Amino acid sequence: MLHRRLLLLTPAALLLRAGPARADAVDTAQALVDKLGRELIGVVNGAGSATEKQAALEKLIDRDVDIQAVARFCLGRFWRTASPDQLKAYGELFRAVLVKNITSKVGDYQGVTMTVGKGQAREEDVLVGSVVNRPNNAPNRVDWVVSAAGGAPRIIDVIAEGTSMRLTQRSDYSAFLSRNNNDVQALIDAMRKQATQPG
Amino acid sequence: MGEQDLIHLEVAYCRMHADMNEMSDQTRFPDPALAPYDIALVPVRGRISWLRVPMRLSVRPLATALAALCLALGGCAMPPPADDPDAVAEYKETNDPLEPTNRVFYAVNDALDTVILRPIALGYRAVLPSPVRTGVHNVLNNLGTPVTLANDLMQGNSRRAGDTMSRFLLNTTLGIGGLIDVAAERGIPDHPADFGMTLAVWGVGDGVFLFLPVLGPTNPRDAVGFGMDSFVLDPWGWVGHGNTVRNLRYGRTALSAVDARAMVLDDFDKVKAQALDPYATIRSLARQYRTKQIDDARNDVTPQAVKKTP
Repeated sequence: MLHRRLLLLTPAALLLRAGPARADAVDTAQALVDKLGRELIGVVNGAGSATEKQAALEKLIDRDVDIQAVARFCLGRFWRTASPDQLKAYGELFRAVLVKNITSKVGDYQGVTMTVGKGQAREEDVLVGSVVNRPNNAPNRVDWVVSAAGGAPRIIDVIAEGTSMRLTQRSDYSAFLSRNNNDVQALIDAMRKQATQPG
Repeated sequence: MGEQDLIHLEVAYCRMHADMNEMSDQTRFPDPALAPYDIALVPVRGRISWLRVPMRLSVRPLATALAALCLALGGCAMPPPADDPDAVAEYKETNDPLEPTNRVFYAVNDALDTVILRPIALGYRAVLPSPVRTGVHNVLNNLGTPVTLANDLMQGNSRRAGDTMSRFLLNTTLGIGGLIDVAAERGIPDHPADFGMTLAVWGVGDGVFLFLPVLGPTNPRDAVGFGMDSFVLDPWGWVGHGNTVRNLRYGRTALSAVDARAMVLDDFDKVKAQALDPYATIRSLARQYRTKQIDDARNDVTPQAVKKTP
């Protein structure tokens, strides 16, 4: 009987212990997304040339996105088979392509607004919901995934209307690799092309 | 191509996919009375009835046709060797055994889109101002009310069905025949409901990935759902006869296509410009988007609803 009660108490005790830490993580994540959202929108709708805006956005991305964690996720199982030189080149190109994809169309987002919702703790990260409104567009539900696995909490995924950015990117790379003999060098060459072509 | 050839093709197809372990019924069941049967929804004298249909007549010709098509268009994706567990896991996750065939259809669709639908959508967006396009979209949406309502109800989602009803009443009257989405402004946003989702809520899995002409990225369940929505549940298909009604119907279908294409012009251009493998990217996006729609229907999440910061 005593054993049973102890068994029942154990998870409760664990939950109590995990409780405050979890709540902290949720608050931190929510604050991070809220601050980043304000700053992003400030840059997009603010004064300045497209080049200035792109530079400002790049800074924010570097500060709040765990780019190397995302890069690693997107390479999937090939992370283990690639050489250190390839991983280095891949990491740099991944960042360049990501920044380019996000910042190149900054003019299209003029007038954007964002409402940040409540954070929600998941197994290993926190999901922060938001609604992004663009003029002449239906409101978009965008969820931000914040993880502290790499030290300070940073964004590791953006889920727009249920579509995860990193999951989609990973299937793009894995399909490309499987059609190119699983050769990571071919992927790196293709990414270099992406990073250098005008767009 | 005779029936014998098709059987040969089918057998060849089955050998390629030993795991599917399919054989022609003629070999397994010499007596047709003993052949297995499916339950199918079949129209009988204008009504839909459940009928016993011999599997030979329902699934098999479809499978055979698919096999023939598959072989003609470059075959099926070969499963990776079993000693590469990562590759096997990926193959299962992708669930796209018809990939080579799907890619052919993707290329055909993409070519047609580039020369026909995309230019029309671009023109539509260039010529008509945004409020007019929104109005057209709203009217088309309002016309889809019966299908949405039927599916809400079949999904057992009375709250969503109530939303659909309120939206229809408000938008048809105050919204001038559906032109203005006054319901959304009053806090009753639009939500999707189709028969593919209904089947999913009933527990039907999506099955393999399909890229079909016209329909684009889909799966057997949603393709069946599309047929059900378009040809059975849509009352605009039941009423009226004559050329005018037929032309109105064609007009609505064409306008729906242009409206839908115009909505995704920028997103689609972006995918094609930024993806190394647009087909795989679209496959992934389409699946994730659909999964989310179905989860939302199951959990009755209102689209665009977020909990406000306290």
